Amino acid sequence: MTESRDVMEVDVLYVGGGIASLSSALHLTNLIKAHDEKAGDKKIGELVIVVLEKGFAPGAHGISGAVMDPAPLKELVPDFVGKGAPLEGEVKKESVYLLTKSGKIKSPITPPPLNNHGNYVVSMSKLNQWMAELAEANGVNLFPEFAGVEVLYDDNKVIGVRAGDKGVDADGNKKSNYEPGADLHARVTVFGEGSRGNLTKDLIEHFKLDEGRNPVAFEVGVKEVWELPEQRLQPGEVIHSMGYPLKSDTFGGGFIYGMKDKMVSIGQMTSLDYSDPCLDPHREFQKFKLHPMVSELLKGGKLIQYGAKTAPVGGYFSIPKLSFPGGMIIGDGANLFNSQKIKGIDLAIRSGMLAAQTIFEGLLEDDLSDVKLAGYAKAMSRSKEMKSLYKVRNFHQAMTRGLYPGLLTAVGQYLLGGRVLSNRLSSKPDHEHMETLVERYGTSTPSADDVGDIKFDKQLTFDKETDVYYSGATHEEAQPSHLKILNLDICYGECAEKYGNPCVRFCPASVYEMTVDEATGKKTLKVNFSNCVHCKTCDVKDPFENIQWVPPEGGGGPKYTMM
Amino acid sequence: MNIAVCVKQVIDTEAEKKLDPSSWRLDRNVNCILNPYDEYAVEEALRIKEAHGGQVVAVCMGPEKATDAVRKALAMGADTGVLVSDEALAGSDAQGTAYVLAEALKGLEWDLILFGVRSTDGETGCVPAAVAERLGIPLLSTLAKVEVEGSTLKVHRETEQGYVAYECPTPAVLSVIKGINEPRYPSMMGIMGAKKKPLEVKDAGALSLDKSRIGLDGAKTRVLSARIPEPRKAGVKVEDDGSGAQKIAEFLASEKLV
Repeated sequence: MTESRDVMEVDVLYVGGGIASLSSALHLTNLIKAHDEKAGDKKIGELVIVVLEKGFAPGAHGISGAVMDPAPLKELVPDFVGKGAPLEGEVKKESVYLLTKSGKIKSPITPPPLNNHGNYVVSMSKLNQWMAELAEANGVNLFPEFAGVEVLYDDNKVIGVRAGDKGVDADGNKKSNYEPGADLHARVTVFGEGSRGNLTKDLIEHFKLDEGRNPVAFEVGVKEVWELPEQRLQPGEVIHSMGYPLKSDTFGGGFIYGMKDKMVSIGQMTSLDYSDPCLDPHREFQKFKLHPMVSELLKGGKLIQYGAKTAPVGGYFSIPKLSFPGGMIIGDGANLFNSQKIKGIDLAIRSGMLAAQTIFEGLLEDDLSDVKLAGYAKAMSRSKEMKSLYKVRNFHQAMTRGLYPGLLTAVGQYLLGGRVLSNRLSSKPDHEHMETLVERYGTSTPSADDVGDIKFDKQLTFDKETDVYYSGATHEEAQPSHLKILNLDICYGECAEKYGNPCVRFCPASVYEMTVDEATGKKTLKVNFSNCVHCKTCDVKDPFENIQWVPPEGGGGPKYTMM
Repeated sequence: MNIAVCVKQVIDTEAEKKLDPSSWRLDRNVNCILNPYDEYAVEEALRIKEAHGGQVVAVCMGPEKATDAVRKALAMGADTGVLVSDEALAGSDAQGTAYVLAEALKGLEWDLILFGVRSTDGETGCVPAAVAERLGIPLLSTLAKVEVEGSTLKVHRETEQGYVAYECPTPAVLSVIKGINEPRYPSMMGIMGAKKKPLEVKDAGALSLDKSRIGLDGAKTRVLSARIPEPRKAGVKVEDDGSGAQKIAEFLASEKLV
């Protein structure tokens, strides 16, 4: 019930408590500790390092496939196995299939970019939780349930962020327990907000960090974790698929990863540059489970957890400038993601570590100027992970030209180390790719069959409401919606006519619902913000850029524990 | 006025609830939170403290990780915390819990003891009464309003018809219901400060607990069986074509409800 806004002075502030920030905070404290032990009177001393996390707990919003290349983790925590890193299993068996509706063609070899030998299947939520414990043991201050909602600038320099207010009702009025979010002032602010970071968007615009870059591009991954009657896949076994149920003009693919304790992670990525206004990534994932290869595997099993998240797949040319006066961007938020290998954890950890290294050197020299912070981007470009990202610099842009031409280009790119398309392929932002209903279907009222809708049997396939229940998503109901519709007239007018309100379909959590009053025929867009799993698809894909995602009251969102 | 507020850590509302079939104990190895009803008790204690002065101590029994629940009470504004934690306490029933809390409370200074109306896991709601009985002081339960005038408590006790107003001298045990207030959010400063507040962890030995009255063996309650309730079946939808009232009346009659 504080009326005035607290100001907290900290040394290093991380916005977003994912793997990039946690690795970075851990590395920074390790470097300082090692230095101070033998520094005599030139100690850096104890710093106040703060990590803000909008989720209920570290890992609550952590979701990925996930297969992890452990190289950077090995450097950060050399004895990660001994220290109890939550690894599901080492990848020893893997296969790639091209699926047709009921058939499958197994690739005789695993294409080299998908070769995961030596990698580990992990759960992002568990890995985040573990890393958070290590960081906290090192004295890092973790604040779950606090979102950064505004970048604080002073004289064109970032000086920190403002944390979200709490206790504001649906109409924006302060409740009796209103708690204004603190202003955190930091010597360095590191943004590790993950895919489509809300404040990162603001920073990129403010400092024009994307000048001369390709537009960002995203895929949305929809995923379930199942418990099977017996251990049908070895922990660490990896299966990837292409083709069915996605049409050949839509890029994406399925994944099935074996986990411990009879669990299996199963999901599908759908590229958000798709053109079909009626495409529904959640529905397509449900269809994937109907394929005999998948339905046989899941027989007799039960759904344990559900989630969805965008992944930044724009590649090398979409990476913004990584530093600016007062701070840096790390991890998925900086589009540091290798879409050909479908991997970002190694890049996230690497970028976090190199950001920490740069901050550490700056602290030693008492120089945290923008020139000094720019050293992080230079160090990044010398890293093995970044070089490997450069080699596949045009992968996603080639794939948007269709599955088969894309595959050919990708093979060429692989063989020639990227030189087949040494220049940058052009691309346009995801939201501009959508065709109108008439362009796609020749009618503004396509049938359920044309569109590819299915009935969910609640055994193998689930509707969005059921799936959302399994994500644990909840939000304080008495708060303003965190999904801002900028202009409702567009929803009822142009968007309804041209595209049939695709938000209702692309949202994998049934946040958007168009209700029609039977008597008057009047349409109302209902925004069920409490269902939101924070995937950011709407922020990316709305054809009119009419939906803006902002952080809800801290603690809201999914509660992942094994995603 | 010094206040002890008893808090419990419960598994999160969204977490999957699993019982161990050999002991019928709840699997607590999932997301855990401060019992939501206890947040109202902590808030009420803090409001009384802010108006009348004194100290607030949060008292908890639970596994080691229940320190998180006590820390939350400290972050909200409680001054000190006590956690009674011992492997021997695992499986205690409501009676056992009340015995342990009463023993812990005997070593503390308080004029008033506050509880949330019940926990969201055990749901018995009888721990406050049992603690009052053990300490030999009055109990006022399910309160929607608490006022302090000197050493007199003026409270509203919620009933099905409305409320009953009571007066009672301190010391007393009170349990409060949802809606008595809007619990505050811990601020970042509060969370930072809570890390430095005293939180004492005591084991069974420190409280000289009688081993025969605690844990699964000391429990007077025996769980004979447990099952997951069957999912609710879909209801009957009546389309009103003018005969809606008739159809509802027929349905009620067929169920012998009218």
